[in-house]
Amino acid sequence: MNAVHRPSEVLETLERIGVTVAVTVPDGWLGEFLVRIERAPWITLVRATHEEEALAISCGARLGGARTALVIQNVGLLSMGAGMVCLAQRYQFPLLILASYRGTPDDPVFYHVPKGRATEPVLRGLGLGYAVADRDRPIGPQVESAATYAEEASCPFVLLLGREDVQW
Amino acid sequence: MVTTREAYFRAMADALPAETLVVTSLGNASYLWAAIRDRPENFYVEDAMGLALPLALGVAVARPDRQVVVVEGDGGLLMHMGGLITVGAAAPSNLTVLLIQNGVHAASGGQALTNAGLDFAALGLAARLKGARNIETADSLRPALAEALEGSGPMLLALATAPDPEVVVPPAGFDPVATKRRFQDAIEAPRYVPILFGGGRLEPRRR
Repeated sequence: MNAVHRPSEVLETLERIGVTVAVTVPDGWLGEFLVRIERAPWITLVRATHEEEALAISCGARLGGARTALVIQNVGLLSMGAGMVCLAQRYQFPLLILASYRGTPDDPVFYHVPKGRATEPVLRGLGLGYAVADRDRPIGPQVESAATYAEEASCPFVLLLGREDVQW
Repeated sequence: MVTTREAYFRAMADALPAETLVVTSLGNASYLWAAIRDRPENFYVEDAMGLALPLALGVAVARPDRQVVVVEGDGGLLMHMGGLITVGAAAPSNLTVLLIQNGVHAASGGQALTNAGLDFAALGLAARLKGARNIETADSLRPALAEALEGSGPMLLALATAPDPEVVVPPAGFDPVATKRRFQDAIEAPRYVPILFGGGRLEPRRR
């Protein structure tokens, strides 16, 4: 049993790898996680109104030279398709996307189920690289690997996170 | 006599300091600006309608030491109106929004805008931008732009104009990745330096 507080580990990893801008749209699992980001002196949090807008803000921050993390619920991956292909992929922005994976059997809120069912097929349809966080392995290295993949491949990369990874 | 987009852009070319970063939205916003003042500090957004403003916000957040001007259309802004709200909340003092208000979706052939004729300056103020003004002449754009670039933004200047459905041919075709790299080189954005088997970092450029 891993006793490490996984959301803390995610946050510590973002700091260690030099992420200085986080762009977010709220989700129930992410609430306190986002508050912690907002309080951290080493990172700027931008709260956007919609995930496609958040994606564009991330692209702009990366264009300006900041390493970024887009922190959203997986429903945002369904709603940001146009911006993903027309902006992030077309211009080859390396973006780390951390998405809470709602609608899995672990999610007690069952209206998320359709989103959970659609998420991975949509990611494959968009040609996006992604991974589902492995709860039996430390989360920090998984976040770092996702960020490295994005940079090395010059494209967005999605890490789908479980409740234990982000709910504080 | 309605002021043309070109007249506004020529005033903008006169008034902008060389170091200003400029993000332009799809269609003639990018094509005409490239024809008038192509420079590495321009970032041309092709397609991705409505996302020039949030992209420029990201640039402004990442580079608070540089003034950022974004040229967005009224149709694009309506498509992602939330972006204006986020600009008001994030309140970057170095961001100026030039809104081409022509009442149509010019880039897609001139289809009527949903609810044309909105008071965008009032919307900007409601979104809690530091300043917002409706502009009708190129002569009035120059001092307004100079004021905005003093760093008291975010500021929105809504530029009233007529549709210009004829597509301007830019001096060269846009290569999105080349546009990005040219921009990042111009601002000396930190570069990702890979390390064998992962763990690379963004590092400042060596002069």
